[in-house]
Amino acid sequence: MDVSGVLEAHKQKFKSVSVEGKVIPVEYDLGLLAAYDQNPVDEAALKKNKDEYLQSLCRDNAQLLFNEIFQLQTISDDNGVMAMLPVPTTLLPREKPLPKPKPETRWEKFAKAKGIGKRKKDRMVYGDASGEYKPRWGYKAINDDGTKDWIIEVPAGSNPMEDQYEARRDAKKERIDKNEKRHRRNLDEAAVATKMDQKAVDKGDRPDMDNVRGMKRKELESQILISKGSTASAGKFDNAIKGDLKPKGIKRQFAPTVADFSKEKAGNMSILDRVVGKNGEDLVNVRKAIKATKSRR
Amino acid sequence: MLRTITPRNARVKRVLKNREAKTEENVKTAIFIRGSQTSQIVNDALADLYMLKKPYAVNFTKKNQIHPFEDQSNLQFFSQKNDASLFVIGTHSKKRPNTLTFARMFDHQLLDMMEVSIEKGTPMREFKTPKSAIGMKPCFMFNGDIWEHNQHYIMFKSMMLDFYHGQSVDKVALAGLEYVISVTAGPMTSEGKPGKIYLRTYTIVLKRSGVKLPRIELVEMGPSMDMTFGRITEAKPDVWKQSLRVPKELKPKKKKNISKDDMGDTVGRIHLGKQDFDKIQTRKMKGLKKRTSEDADATADKKQRVDGGGDDEE
Repeated sequence: MDVSGVLEAHKQKFKSVSVEGKVIPVEYDLGLLAAYDQNPVDEAALKKNKDEYLQSLCRDNAQLLFNEIFQLQTISDDNGVMAMLPVPTTLLPREKPLPKPKPETRWEKFAKAKGIGKRKKDRMVYGDASGEYKPRWGYKAINDDGTKDWIIEVPAGSNPMEDQYEARRDAKKERIDKNEKRHRRNLDEAAVATKMDQKAVDKGDRPDMDNVRGMKRKELESQILISKGSTASAGKFDNAIKGDLKPKGIKRQFAPTVADFSKEKAGNMSILDRVVGKNGEDLVNVRKAIKATKSRR
Repeated sequence: MLRTITPRNARVKRVLKNREAKTEENVKTAIFIRGSQTSQIVNDALADLYMLKKPYAVNFTKKNQIHPFEDQSNLQFFSQKNDASLFVIGTHSKKRPNTLTFARMFDHQLLDMMEVSIEKGTPMREFKTPKSAIGMKPCFMFNGDIWEHNQHYIMFKSMMLDFYHGQSVDKVALAGLEYVISVTAGPMTSEGKPGKIYLRTYTIVLKRSGVKLPRIELVEMGPSMDMTFGRITEAKPDVWKQSLRVPKELKPKKKKNISKDDMGDTVGRIHLGKQDFDKIQTRKMKGLKKRTSEDADATADKKQRVDGGGDDEE
């Protein structure tokens, strides 16, 4: 049985999905759902009937774009039929620079050097005494470092009058404080490291974690020196403090009062030559200097 | 300058964390600003562009003394305060009537900026047609032969895509494709300067076509704008390069041993490992038949006997 006639008749009822008249094939960036039609615009039609022409042009391109999109691989989920999009080909600028690598903490550095990996601990642990599973930490935890024991044996060799509960509490507090201190130290070091990174970011340098303490010290010293010079006398009449910082790198030399005269003359002449001599033209704008002196008069 | 915030509660901490640089970035937020003087056309255009950009948009309803081409400090401040990197500034003056300035920021510093002036604008409300829902992903269409060649057009295309492409996704609901933003480049002027561009927005109607693919019909939704280009500030090459960097995690993984030849065919190299000759299937012949160990012994005896015979002959 020949059904081609029936199919043709059925097709006739609908408008076509194909688009003709594109000399240059339309390019697509399906990742952004975009179509780039490089065919020149029909100027006469644009002038004559702008909106209608634009709409028909756009419809044709939309048809082409949808033909491409509907041919993509699809999956069905709760939101209906989804088309899997390829990676966009048109590059768009980022909003912020790429994230910097986080500075390592001391422990992370140590663990890396020793090859220690992370180990997952179970949330619930078996308690021998109670015979049931209890959380490792938090509310109703298995073991609050023994501070909840109703009786504690006095260790051999210790003062029998000492409160063992208090001793345990103190020990725990000490451990917490120590950890807190280390946490703070890590934060400080990370701050310095990222600051360094900011400077060296153009070069692509990584933060030098080994020298963080040195960096921090240097920064503090320079700040102290600045603050010292910020009195009315620029620090000249401040009382000297023992072991105080002295500015480095500033050295004053005084020429001896009795010495070879020719050396002194040569030195002075070289300065004079640089300012007003033949080589001095770059240093002093003579015309401007003359003008300035004249106007002062 | 903005004060630096130290988070005092978890909510602020989360917000600040969300603002940090990431490998996969948030959708860029746009700020719509009215300049010190605006016209009705500019106000309508800003309102409509804001509607299309919603929900990743902030609308400044008050007027601001802002001249982006003279001083960018305002933009930097707004960008940091709102964690936004896109701007549309609407102004209207005798010299530059009905002007929209599109600006982009990178790392809260100005990246690039361009001006367009609206010659003829029809706002969305004047089209009595159905509108697309808020926050849908649009399709883009750039018509004309000049989009790749002139700096103004290249930047405008990049701006439009950057403003409205929304979330980067790897799949899209076919039923959610509701509208098209189409920009058509008109002919260049006789002096070879950029001509008009026509921005049109249509909703999409999918119709039955008798085949699997749908027939597309478009209904104009608005806004519609005929624009000309004005001033332009291009991005500094080094900053532009930095902004285009793709993090290693997002780069498509290179597949080994697969390449494309000049004809566009995919060519691959396959490693099969060492071939096992014992299992190879050759033509079946009696002489090549695989023998069991007993058979092998039997033939060895035979061979010896033959060899012995040879000795005798010598």
